Amino acid sequence: MERQKAKSKMQNAKGAAAASSPDSLRPPFPFHQSSSGSSRLTSKRLIVTLAALFALLILIAAVATAIGSEKVDVLSVLRIISSRMTGTVADVPAEQAIIIADIRLPRVLMAVVVGAALAVAGAAYQALLRNPLADPAILGVSSGAALGAIVATVFAESLPVSRPVAAFIGALATIAVVYALGQSRHRGGSERLILAGVIVNALLSSIVIFMVTTAAGSRQRSVLSWLIGDLGGETSLLPIVALLIATGIAAILLNARSLNLLMTGEEDALALGVEVGRVKLAVYLAASLITGAAVAVSGAIGFVGLIIPHAVRLAGGSDNRLVVPASALVGGAFLVLADTIARTAIAPRELHIGVITSMVGAPVFIYLLRRTS
Amino acid sequence: MLQARDIRFSYSGPVLKGVSLDVGGGELLCVLGPNGSGKSTLLKIIVGILDPESGAVSIAGRELSSIKRRERAQLVGYVAQESVVRFPLTALEFVLQGRFAQGRLLGFESERDLREAEWAMRMTETVRFASRLVSELSGGERQRVMLARAIASRPRLLVLDEPVANLDVSHQVKMLDLVRRLTIDESLSAIVVTHELNLAAEFASRVLLLKSGEVVACGAPREVMTEANLETVFDAQLLVDENPSSGAPRITLINPQISAISRQVKG
Repeated sequence: MERQKAKSKMQNAKGAAAASSPDSLRPPFPFHQSSSGSSRLTSKRLIVTLAALFALLILIAAVATAIGSEKVDVLSVLRIISSRMTGTVADVPAEQAIIIADIRLPRVLMAVVVGAALAVAGAAYQALLRNPLADPAILGVSSGAALGAIVATVFAESLPVSRPVAAFIGALATIAVVYALGQSRHRGGSERLILAGVIVNALLSSIVIFMVTTAAGSRQRSVLSWLIGDLGGETSLLPIVALLIATGIAAILLNARSLNLLMTGEEDALALGVEVGRVKLAVYLAASLITGAAVAVSGAIGFVGLIIPHAVRLAGGSDNRLVVPASALVGGAFLVLADTIARTAIAPRELHIGVITSMVGAPVFIYLLRRTS
Repeated sequence: MLQARDIRFSYSGPVLKGVSLDVGGGELLCVLGPNGSGKSTLLKIIVGILDPESGAVSIAGRELSSIKRRERAQLVGYVAQESVVRFPLTALEFVLQGRFAQGRLLGFESERDLREAEWAMRMTETVRFASRLVSELSGGERQRVMLARAIASRPRLLVLDEPVANLDVSHQVKMLDLVRRLTIDESLSAIVVTHELNLAAEFASRVLLLKSGEVVACGAPREVMTEANLETVFDAQLLVDENPSSGAPRITLINPQISAISRQVKG
């Protein structure tokens, strides 16, 4: 019985194929939801990829927390963390527990948050400006945020503005100025925008140095140590910064599909139904917010926003529904790695984390520049 | 289908000085005119990329400004003069962008979106390179992919800005033939800006001649594409006779200066 059914089904199928014989010359269209092997982003591929990257991030963070002058194995690290979360006492030396839970872990989490913020900000600016070379540091946004933060530190008494807020305002003002300078009546304003960013960046950096040089002695030290970039310096701000950055990333993620269309041009996006003005405003604000929040606690760490989204795009395509969340996870993992190298490579002394990211980032930037021009 | 009444627009100087036009269902209107006559600006106003200073555009009897952008995108498909794709995007991903207005904001493309994209890519014969990067396609292939994106939303009106620029003669004919077939089979209306006078004469159901932001003439190619009209619009001496194979007007350039030089060269 079943065989007969199967046979008749096969014959039906053959008949259908024969009926549409003129179509058999046509190439197949193998990109439907059910088919595999296409490069198109589906919800299934998105979930699998993000889950894998998340697992990788957790692994790297756990290992990084275990590494340091005081040797602690990964298992003890996990035990200490879970005991802190449940409020019980783990059977490890109290000193180890303090080193892991109060010193290393906050620093690693800060690296995750800052790395995620810088990478997502880079991805967002690249999509908005339709230029794969855009990055919060290259566009001067990081310097703007740094200047805002330094102003808040130096004039702490007379300005009742917290450092993250000042950094956010600095980031926003900078991207507005860079965008205005970079606009041109003629087409191809994308290179012009990068140039505007470089110039604004140079100006802001000199103002930062001027302010640091003229600041009073005690403030000078505090500003300098922050400017050099230290992920471990501001761990008390971790919850608020994490919240700001998560909010900003979520806002960008909500606009991911619109950003896909914006990448092919504003007029095209308008014609395809994107509320371009609203999307641009939301994403500029969100990207500047997360840059400001990241810079406020870590100083200006370069190139993360450039290389991470690019690597993600190379591996997984340009769809921002993947690029934005994947950049967050990979950016977090990358900065954890970079920070671990920075604090262990020449121990007991520490390298500036920006040294590590720039050493990787600068060659990548040159490679990108050659490829796109 | 489309009505535009007394459209005015200016950048630093006036670009459109009161343009009116009508496009009926299933009609293919070719807009002809010299560089800077306001053709692209007119199209951008019709699509809703630019807002006119005065005048009104209505589509399917509804005022353009009262239609939400997403809904408008479902009614009108647009192919710009050039789209620069600087990020690695496959042709299929590019065509699926045409389904944005139908989708939820964050949502993934549905089975239906894929079916419509497939239809659009079959119509434009672009299925073969669906998984190739747009940046690696030839000019003719890219032009067809752009058309596929514009029709993937199943619009009622198609607005094309120089769709045959950069194409060789055979691809030019194929492209316009495809647009004409869409107007007939799918009763789409189309507005096409082009510099190819002979192709316009061949394929357009009506022709609109635009000069310095004003309509010089509008009507069937035979009535409008006269020597007098074309010379006024293009400031060039043209010979108009009948194409022996199709009967459509045939336009030949007879620039006296060039003729004199070529006569000298030929000796």
